[in-house]
Amino acid sequence: MKRLLAHPWLTIRVQIALGAIFIIAALPKIADPPSFAHMIYNYRLVPSPLINISALVMPWVELLAGLALILGAWKAAARTVVAIMLAVFIVAISINFFRDNAIDCGCFNVADRGKTHEQRIFDMKVDVFRDLGMLLMVGQLWYAGKREEDEA
Amino acid sequence: MTRRTVLQTAAIIAAGVVLALVANAFAPRERKLAMAGSYPSALKVPARETTPMGSIPPTRIAQMPIVPMTSTAPVTATTATQPTATAAITTVGLNPAAKTPAAPATTTAAPVPHPPLPTPPSADRFLPHPDKPFVEITFADVSSLHAKNVLFLDARRTSVYEQGHIAGARPYSVWESDIDDKVRKLFDERSDPSAQALPIVIYCSGGDCEDSHMLAQKLWGIQFNNIYVYKDGFPDWQQHGAPVHTGANP
Repeated sequence: MKRLLAHPWLTIRVQIALGAIFIIAALPKIADPPSFAHMIYNYRLVPSPLINISALVMPWVELLAGLALILGAWKAAARTVVAIMLAVFIVAISINFFRDNAIDCGCFNVADRGKTHEQRIFDMKVDVFRDLGMLLMVGQLWYAGKREEDEA
Repeated sequence: MTRRTVLQTAAIIAAGVVLALVANAFAPRERKLAMAGSYPSALKVPARETTPMGSIPPTRIAQMPIVPMTSTAPVTATTATQPTATAAITTVGLNPAAKTPAAPATTTAAPVPHPPLPTPPSADRFLPHPDKPFVEITFADVSSLHAKNVLFLDARRTSVYEQGHIAGARPYSVWESDIDDKVRKLFDERSDPSAQALPIVIYCSGGDCEDSHMLAQKLWGIQFNNIYVYKDGFPDWQQHGAPVHTGANP
């Protein structure tokens, strides 16, 4: 089981899938930073002076981490960045879920889609589970990387 | 985590910062962001309404009696804590001296040709309310102010504005980098205290949208004391079949 989990066949596919997800997620935010800043504002977690700079930098870091995963360069650093970002997203969405602040997560789309409160709350639950799934993918990459280092 | 991983992680983040700054420098006006944003209530979760308008069927809304003007305090958290005038002036980057009517913010600026001001509305309604940044109003009042040629500001994104806006409204998105310039320009147009007491209607997309409230606070901070927020926003305007324009011009 452990060998299967760390098998290069699986690792490469997980790496490419995770990288592609991060690149796809980054592009709309890079294309429209003001809308992403609006999304960050809606989370009510980031102090006002940091909203714009977060909206500008975060998508580019996502893009670079995604590219690094797909290209197989700086794998450990890329999966660290991805893991940190996913942890931040999960915590941020969860906090807003528990305080009943219905938000669009702004993960893959930054346009205001005019959803109801209930739709947004449901989507937030889905987003947390999706991010937890991606965190498991990072766990697989980390485990495979560790085995690779041990065998080397 | 090895030292190399830490350095590579830092390099990815640093490269992200550089790329973000370069991309922002070359971004078109409507996609550019100011480095430091200033958004009131960025950390305050708005109180939820017990009966949100979105949950009321449209037919019921049509049957509801229209109250002439909502004079109660707005329900959003944006207005729950009104900023001081000085704070709001700082928000838009104007000199606090601008709060003194006799001293406009940009004394060195070239004189701006003043557009014709609208006819003042009747004395008993839409009076200045310097104690609060805005008053929320409904379609009936909005429509009557529109008929009086009052200034309308659209707080939605410019790209959305261009797809359709209230006829005559100007684009004033609070999320775009040129908002402070636009606010300054409006101050220059209406630097006279009597002009600042004229009604201004601000709207966005209704529902949870707070952009119009944010813009109202910015304007309130620089002397404008008769601002109305069309709470149900552009979707409600469209629903009533009121005049709409498309494109970049008001």
